[in-house]
Amino acid sequence: MKIKRRSFLKGVGGALALPLLESFGSIAMSSPTRFLVVGNPLGMHPDNFFPQTFGHDYRLPQTLQSLEWLRDRMTIISHTDHGMVSGHGREVTFLNGILPQQAGAFPEKNISIDNLIAQRTGSAVRFPSINAALEKGIRMSWNANGVEISPFTDPQKLFDHLFLNLTAKERKTRRQLIERNGSILDAVSDQLLHLRRQGTSTDRERIEQYETAVRELEGSFADRKNWIDKDKPVFDISEHFEDYEVTVGNRYNAIFDMIGYAFQTDLTRVATIAFPNELSYTDVDGVTRGYHACTHNGKNPEVIAELVAIESFQIAQLSRCLQKLDSIKEPYAEGSLLDNTVVLFGSGMGYGGTHSNRNLPIMVAGGGFNHRGHVDARNASGKNMPLCNLYATLQQRFGIERDAFNTSDGTFELPYV
Amino acid sequence: MCKLRRLTTGVLGLLPLLSWASPELLEQHCGECHNDEDLKGELSLSDFAGGPSNDNIFIWEDSLDFVSTGEMPPADEVDLADSERERIVAFLTETVRQFHEEDGTKFRAPPRRLNNRELVNSVRDVLLIENIGTHQPAANLLGDTLYHGFDTHGESLGMSQFHLEQYIDSLRQIVDGVIQEGDQPRKRHLQIPSEKLKFSGRQRDFQREEMHRTSNSIDFLDIRNRVQFGNFQTVPHTGRYRLKIRATGLDRTRYPEERTGRYHDDPIRLRVHLGDEIRDFDLPDNTRHEIVVDEWLTAGTRIELSYPTDGLKQIGNGNFKFQFRIAHDYLKEHDMELYDYVVREEAPLARFRSDQPDHWVHWVKYWQGPRPRIFNAEVEGPLYESWPSQRQQHLLGSEPTLERAEEILAPIAARAWRRDVSPGELDPIVAMMSVVEESEGTVAAFIEGIVAIMVSPSFLLANTPEGIDQDRFASKMSLFLQSSIPGPDLRMASRIDALGDFAGVRSEVARQLKNGAADPFLQEFPHAWLQLDRINFMAPDPDHFPLYNRKDVSEDMIDEALAFFAHVVDQNLPITEFISADYSFINADLAKVYGVKRVPQDSQLRLHHFKDGRRGGILGMGAFLTLTADSLGTSPIHRAIYVMENLLGIHPNPPPPDVEITEPDVRQAKTIKEILAAHTEEETCASCHRSIDPYGYAFENFDPQGSWREAYTMQIAPKPGRAELVRIAEEDKRLKAMGLPPMPRPWENKPIPVDASETFRNGDSYSNIRDYRELMNRPRNQRRFVRCFITKLLTYANGVEPESYWEIEKLVERSAAHDYRIVDTIAAVIDSPLFRETGPTGTDAMLVAGGQ
Repeated sequence: MKIKRRSFLKGVGGALALPLLESFGSIAMSSPTRFLVVGNPLGMHPDNFFPQTFGHDYRLPQTLQSLEWLRDRMTIISHTDHGMVSGHGREVTFLNGILPQQAGAFPEKNISIDNLIAQRTGSAVRFPSINAALEKGIRMSWNANGVEISPFTDPQKLFDHLFLNLTAKERKTRRQLIERNGSILDAVSDQLLHLRRQGTSTDRERIEQYETAVRELEGSFADRKNWIDKDKPVFDISEHFEDYEVTVGNRYNAIFDMIGYAFQTDLTRVATIAFPNELSYTDVDGVTRGYHACTHNGKNPEVIAELVAIESFQIAQLSRCLQKLDSIKEPYAEGSLLDNTVVLFGSGMGYGGTHSNRNLPIMVAGGGFNHRGHVDARNASGKNMPLCNLYATLQQRFGIERDAFNTSDGTFELPYV
Repeated sequence: MCKLRRLTTGVLGLLPLLSWASPELLEQHCGECHNDEDLKGELSLSDFAGGPSNDNIFIWEDSLDFVSTGEMPPADEVDLADSERERIVAFLTETVRQFHEEDGTKFRAPPRRLNNRELVNSVRDVLLIENIGTHQPAANLLGDTLYHGFDTHGESLGMSQFHLEQYIDSLRQIVDGVIQEGDQPRKRHLQIPSEKLKFSGRQRDFQREEMHRTSNSIDFLDIRNRVQFGNFQTVPHTGRYRLKIRATGLDRTRYPEERTGRYHDDPIRLRVHLGDEIRDFDLPDNTRHEIVVDEWLTAGTRIELSYPTDGLKQIGNGNFKFQFRIAHDYLKEHDMELYDYVVREEAPLARFRSDQPDHWVHWVKYWQGPRPRIFNAEVEGPLYESWPSQRQQHLLGSEPTLERAEEILAPIAARAWRRDVSPGELDPIVAMMSVVEESEGTVAAFIEGIVAIMVSPSFLLANTPEGIDQDRFASKMSLFLQSSIPGPDLRMASRIDALGDFAGVRSEVARQLKNGAADPFLQEFPHAWLQLDRINFMAPDPDHFPLYNRKDVSEDMIDEALAFFAHVVDQNLPITEFISADYSFINADLAKVYGVKRVPQDSQLRLHHFKDGRRGGILGMGAFLTLTADSLGTSPIHRAIYVMENLLGIHPNPPPPDVEITEPDVRQAKTIKEILAAHTEEETCASCHRSIDPYGYAFENFDPQGSWREAYTMQIAPKPGRAELVRIAEEDKRLKAMGLPPMPRPWENKPIPVDASETFRNGDSYSNIRDYRELMNRPRNQRRFVRCFITKLLTYANGVEPESYWEIEKLVERSAAHDYRIVDTIAAVIDSPLFRETGPTGTDAMLVAGGQ
């Protein structure tokens, strides 16, 4: 365990005082809408995720037990997919419906829905989006250049990134560093121009990719310079690290709390949290095997029980975070923070045990929608709905006035109150 | 090569076949299945209409492969005389040849980002240092995405602002570790007595330090511990340091091997961690030994010691407990007096478990297992031959000034950019430096200048359109063999045309393979080709395969594959050795997995001939057998696909998206063959699976970790308790009332014998792995294997899969002319137009260039 308790505590000042909105003053007092995505790479054991009946009166299945309190404010969607063939490696399409190797055919490559929304909401806040996981990411967030965005995989680094304030001297150094890095980019730009002129069409694509990287980094430097002198909100998550041993549970609690607080203080409006395959979940009660091995359980009930324990753990972490968000009133709007936060849980894989990428486990909560219970998304001829239809609907919640998203062929009905 | 995708160009289907002579043979033998209605294998003869074109040439090529290997038409459906087959093959060959020779397009490898391996090596060589620094400057780089195991694949290596920012950060840290500002730091000479040796990492009550200490030393009781020097934890100033550590190995053979999981004949080692660099040293038994580490260490480097061993581990949690039970059992058997003392005097007074004297907590301090003992250490440094240091002077000279910036930086830039620097090209960088100099001074300005040179696209991207062809060739060759920039010799050799023909390339390749320069190739290429990264994606189940999980067996398996590859290269054996050899490289753990008796009991890999005809080469390697298996069961399909894609170069279509795959059920007493019977019964699956599955069934005798089995035993479950049996009986009643069959009773299952026989579509059949291996080594399959190997080499070299069927075909011919010898084949690949990026060679040129 790499967590150093003391450095977490460094962030504590007047802990738990009413936080100020980060962007307070810089924008009008309009209420922000936020987007939280929680995903895993292996899908969910279907019998324990999907309720047996559709509509509002379903019985909550085993894995979702911890969400009982939320049942009127969430929608479980059966029978969606991205039209992917079976097997691992397609789960990376969870938030975009497009494989990296197909990305070239799309104008915004395989941009994922979280980044599309972050483009819209990002300019008002310090961090357009925050991506977190433990130890390893699951390749779920992709930008408009077809490049995956790596998450923070160490809670300590996430903490520093979100909440650690720099000293006056550090701020000065940081500013100088940004300026220096900017000058380095300037210094190589002539060469870039030259290469672009020399190149044939086959050469050009990758050179342009490099060019975009330079341009975006310059933009990011400019944004960051503006934020350097503004203090970050104060936060304390040390409670999760006071136990004798730092467990997977504690570390995820810390991650969820940091994201929740970043929402509360408007540090960011888009966040993703992933539960990777490689992480050892043996801290979780009843788990002794690897996550992936549990999905290939050969229908052995003992191993299935371990898988369900891991999956229930993931849902319980989410539930705990949503309860917190729901306990806080949205400062400048009706309802709680949760009512103004669109929550998406799911996976790009249906169920690891069959390697199926059909019938993805998908749940939407909060966001002030008129939720629909358990929905069968198949059309009249029994065909699964493209999951991008849901994203086409969600983007509109953020004021993105488009009817389509990547591979959608329609929208998903989810009225907003 | 069976990307038999349905062509979407509808027009083609409408054109008559007419002008394509000889197609009556195709009509006659293939038309019955491959027509617009049946579309077997998603192919219709109308796809050939209009003759070969860029859109459909792959169909011609795939068909040639299928017909020439006898897989099509299938033996059980069409009776094709050999002479007729030869006619079809001749027709297809001629068509493909003509198309490619007339095509004349030059292949050009597109630019791609250097991967992290190449970046680290290249920076090292640009800066003329031995490593990029021990302060882990590259730790934050974003990981590279692999493409079928390859980390050189251009499209998978993305580039974004995040990459770029990490590059700037890492590069600056690296240059900071070479170029130092200010006065020479004072040398110190520190003694580190045993009291100053401290454990880092997690501390538990039972691991209290005093349990590890004697009056003048400290022992490793727990392999997870690391030891730090209390008065020298991190390196204060960058420079050369001399560390001396005095240590010994203890109790190597006291406890039985099967309890500790460690071989008596393996020496006890001590590992010195210099940041993320490691140095291992063998320790003599019971003799105080002095280890000396004399290296350049960067400021901030953490120095730690640890005990590397692949023993002393148990599965999952509770690692430490089993260890102290060994201590307990040993005393009980060998030292009754001490044992009685602990039970009577110590255990009852303990804070925990005082009522359980045999509990492990009471025996921690009596552990006498194999372990290193460290007495003391000393550190001397930083040491400099001169100030500024030699390495700094190699880069900047003794007194760099900004007026001479261009002159100083030009050779650095020429190395980094793998080409000459044009006049004035460094101006923007020098201009930037003069701004930095004003506020930060001259040395800082040079640091920034060097960073800028390496942030440049000419450094970070390979295959960029710049410089002369000879330099481009030298760069490609050094990235291919050394995963780094070309040295001055290689660039010069390329410029004076010493690498212009096969002979020149061959001697350079042989030289680099011999002198170690090409070690990165020997390490990375087989790793990528055989997709060894996948080995623990689904590790064998810990309950059923304890050895695999307790020891580092997967690492042994990877090492086995790499050792085999290095052996074939070292002896310049035919490439076919990979599938024909009756030997491989094993140690005592692999011998256990493979069921081999009487081998030396230690961890070292040694060449071993298998007498049973079942193993040897890739086809019997644990690495292949386990990375294609699930944790509890095996899949002939996964293994078939692996063999087809990585060894034979056949790419079967993925299943259609709407296919429902049945989840394996270990509770049922069925063989995998019975479960998969559906594939051959249902026509949509069968048309492909009849071609796929036979490649995999032969391996059914190998279980998920690659051990031999005569029968499936995994489906037998322990009998459940009474309550569960009652529940099942009730459930049965309910099911019976509904007219359904009763619940499965997996504990009543009997072992089912393995059936590893099958028949290929071309009529070849095998009854076991021995027959299968023989079939794989028929000349036709050996040729396919060589072809696949060449394709993989080209993918690794160019960062993109080669498309030119005909050029590869010619490479196979050249390889054949050298008896498929591996060094000659590698040289032929480098000498080919697909690597050199020149136009296609004619048939004549090919024969001449073969010259030995």
